[in-house]
Amino acid sequence: MNIDLKTYLLTDTASTRTRLLALGVLGLVLSFFGYFTNPAQFYHSWLVAFSFWATLGLGAFFFVLMHHVTGAFWSTVIRRIVESVMGALPLLLIFFIPIIFGLHTLYHWSDPGEDPLLIWKSPYLNTTFFGIRTVLYFIVWYLIISKLYKLSVNQTGEEDLRRMRRVSAAGTVIFALTFTFASFDWLMSTDAHWYSTIYGVYIFGGAYLSAIIFVVLFALFLQHNGILQKEITSEHYHDLGKLAFGFVIFWAYIAGSQYFLIWYGNIPEETVWFAHRWVGSWKTASLVLIAGHFIIPFIVLIFHAAKRNTGIFKAVALLLLVMHWVDLYWNIMPSLYPDGVRISWMDFSTMAGIGGIFLWKIWDNLTRHPVLPTADPYLMQSINFNKH
Amino acid sequence: MNLIKPKKQPSPDATVFSGSAPLPEPLITGKQTFASITERISAIVEGKPPKGWMIAFSFSVSILLMLLGTIGYLADEGIGIWGLNNPVGWGWAIVNFVFWVGIGHAGTLISAVLHLFRQKWRTSINRFAEAMTLFAVICALVFPTIHVGRIWMLHYVFPIPNQMEMWPNFRSPLLWDVFAVSIYFAVSILFWFTGLIPDLATLRDRAKTRARKFIFGALALGWRGSNRHWQHYELAYLVLAGLATPLVLSVHSVVSTDFATSILPGWHTTIFPPYFVAGAIFSGFAMVMTLGIIAREVFGLKDFITLKHLDKMSKIMLVTGSMVGYSYATEFFIAWYGGNGYEMFAFINRAFGPYAWAYWTMISCNVIIPQLFWFKKIRSNVKILFVLSILVNVGMWFERFVIVVSSLSRDFLPSAWAYYSPTIFDIMTFIGTFGLFFTFFLLFLRFLPMVSMTEVKGVLPAADPHYKAPEEVKEND
Repeated sequence: MNIDLKTYLLTDTASTRTRLLALGVLGLVLSFFGYFTNPAQFYHSWLVAFSFWATLGLGAFFFVLMHHVTGAFWSTVIRRIVESVMGALPLLLIFFIPIIFGLHTLYHWSDPGEDPLLIWKSPYLNTTFFGIRTVLYFIVWYLIISKLYKLSVNQTGEEDLRRMRRVSAAGTVIFALTFTFASFDWLMSTDAHWYSTIYGVYIFGGAYLSAIIFVVLFALFLQHNGILQKEITSEHYHDLGKLAFGFVIFWAYIAGSQYFLIWYGNIPEETVWFAHRWVGSWKTASLVLIAGHFIIPFIVLIFHAAKRNTGIFKAVALLLLVMHWVDLYWNIMPSLYPDGVRISWMDFSTMAGIGGIFLWKIWDNLTRHPVLPTADPYLMQSINFNKH
Repeated sequence: MNLIKPKKQPSPDATVFSGSAPLPEPLITGKQTFASITERISAIVEGKPPKGWMIAFSFSVSILLMLLGTIGYLADEGIGIWGLNNPVGWGWAIVNFVFWVGIGHAGTLISAVLHLFRQKWRTSINRFAEAMTLFAVICALVFPTIHVGRIWMLHYVFPIPNQMEMWPNFRSPLLWDVFAVSIYFAVSILFWFTGLIPDLATLRDRAKTRARKFIFGALALGWRGSNRHWQHYELAYLVLAGLATPLVLSVHSVVSTDFATSILPGWHTTIFPPYFVAGAIFSGFAMVMTLGIIAREVFGLKDFITLKHLDKMSKIMLVTGSMVGYSYATEFFIAWYGGNGYEMFAFINRAFGPYAWAYWTMISCNVIIPQLFWFKKIRSNVKILFVLSILVNVGMWFERFVIVVSSLSRDFLPSAWAYYSPTIFDIMTFIGTFGLFFTFFLLFLRFLPMVSMTEVKGVLPAADPHYKAPEEVKEND
């Protein structure tokens, strides 16, 4: 790939595009083959992969909302990158279709039987309403995202920033509500008896963190290929690092609060969720999550140098991205394998399948428009940010 | 795509970027210079207090005396003088404690978190917000001190080694409160004092009497304003900001565990820690707004605490108020979703039971009224903002009241249910803490610079290293 420095459009992007598409198609084909060997495994792996990419897209969506709401300019230089991730989110609706087919395998509430608790919840947790809600979330997200994206690529000056800010302010409220209910629906209801009021915030913490580090990795990838090497400086990585550090702590704070209050209250209907995650090798997975999602990145990212050294930062970012997947796996899979962790090849094929197509769409978004919002009045300030 | 060998990018052509950023609006208005700022702020401390101050101070002190009298009576009689009854063993004392601790959150948030976020608008309000924090925490600490009526037994709240080997229960969140709040208080006071040092030195240098010279001289710790002093100062300030930031979150999280670790319906819910923190920041900013509006009117500080500051504070209140509203909604939804009859009852009882009046006051003041902050017109109308900021704190007091009392008054045993009402002594104690708060706050306004002179100078255009005075620019042309 190359960059045209007159227009800031990327050129020679076809090979990357093809590779990502090939990765996606290969992953999907393999996964559908997997469906015939073990449908339960397929559905659960699929839900983990779907949640991984969806939370990543939602995190990027939130990043853009915050950029506009706070009137930030340090992140103007990476805005297009984040927007391209955000813009790929609506596409994921088509990957929700297999989940609809697998409702009976994934969610016990879809067949409540004699279970009084599930019958009680059935006005909310039922197949029709579940489907309607998910479609509704995606419609709302699509409307806000396409509005923001359109305003951004057609931006001519200051006035458009104000418009984007207005859309983002209202969008943040809608985001908070839809995100919470989406995480209740898709993830929390896999254990339909269990509940936790903080759950939406917990999933949000991981989602936003994953988006921040994905942006870091994406920017490093572009720079590695000779794009935006002068524009994205160590100052930007430093700030992204601080943000990531903050959300490493935030995730741990929320996850810790949830665990701690349930542990202390010691009511069986709540503790059962953590009890399932303390059986056999799930115990190891829980400990890995604490170490990899919190302790290690916390210790590394606390250092000034680690945030400015691309090598170290890249390693931590990759670790955190893997940990985001582990987190979702740890949330979903114990309902399929209560005895212990059982990694399947389908966990990887579904990740590659949905991920390939998702990344292809991100790439498609990024290459359609200049990689910098060239008309943004704060762009030069953002590039020279913190330089003296 | 090449994953192994990095590629070099040719030099960018900056001319393609069409936009040019508008100059940011100044944070400080009225053509201030370094000298005029020193003059303006120091004059408040050096001159005679305005009449209004004298009246307010006498009033506050008399209310404070009422507090002391009430506490004396409490020590003599015991907590029977309060409205506590059998199921409601925690009444106004803990409500007021949480209320004041919550208010004490904005100061450190403004000074530490906004400092880390490079929000320069904090400079005009951080000093008095931090002072407010300290006094609010002192007011909060009154309640644990007196809450069992036997003030002389206070040392039992601390884990002091003793020959009977009697210890407080380390598993009790109430003990964690002792640690959390006292650490918060200690760090806040350090942070506040560190920030004061350069200003204290300014006052020392301007002092005309021996007493002032001695007192400010001792407090300024030998500050000379040398390059090395500034370097250490700024580093210390940054480190303290880093240390204070987690405390902003931890204190109210710990306070929330007072309730959330129990298994009482309405108290035991996992969202409590972040929900309490959001509420604390919400009420703290409301208090900063109330005091800021009074200060800018009384002491003529409209150039320092500008409409821009009020606008930004309104936005923070909109965000945190909405977070609180989000928590109310989630709690209600999960109470139904969880399918636990007791939990559901607790919430229906809150909204439609004997305390419905308190619940709807809370909803109106905390969720509905802050939605007015969406409008720019409201955010720039000082009178309306003043009223709204007081309403927010009314709402936040009621939030704690609703949580504490509604869950306790109707617990698991219907035959024990009882309605709780405060006595005159509950009310006098609560109002009395306002006397304590304002006595301290007015003394602070009188004797210490309420706006950080050094930091405000730092956000003037003239403080920018690339700044050129208008006459300089002319000469160069």
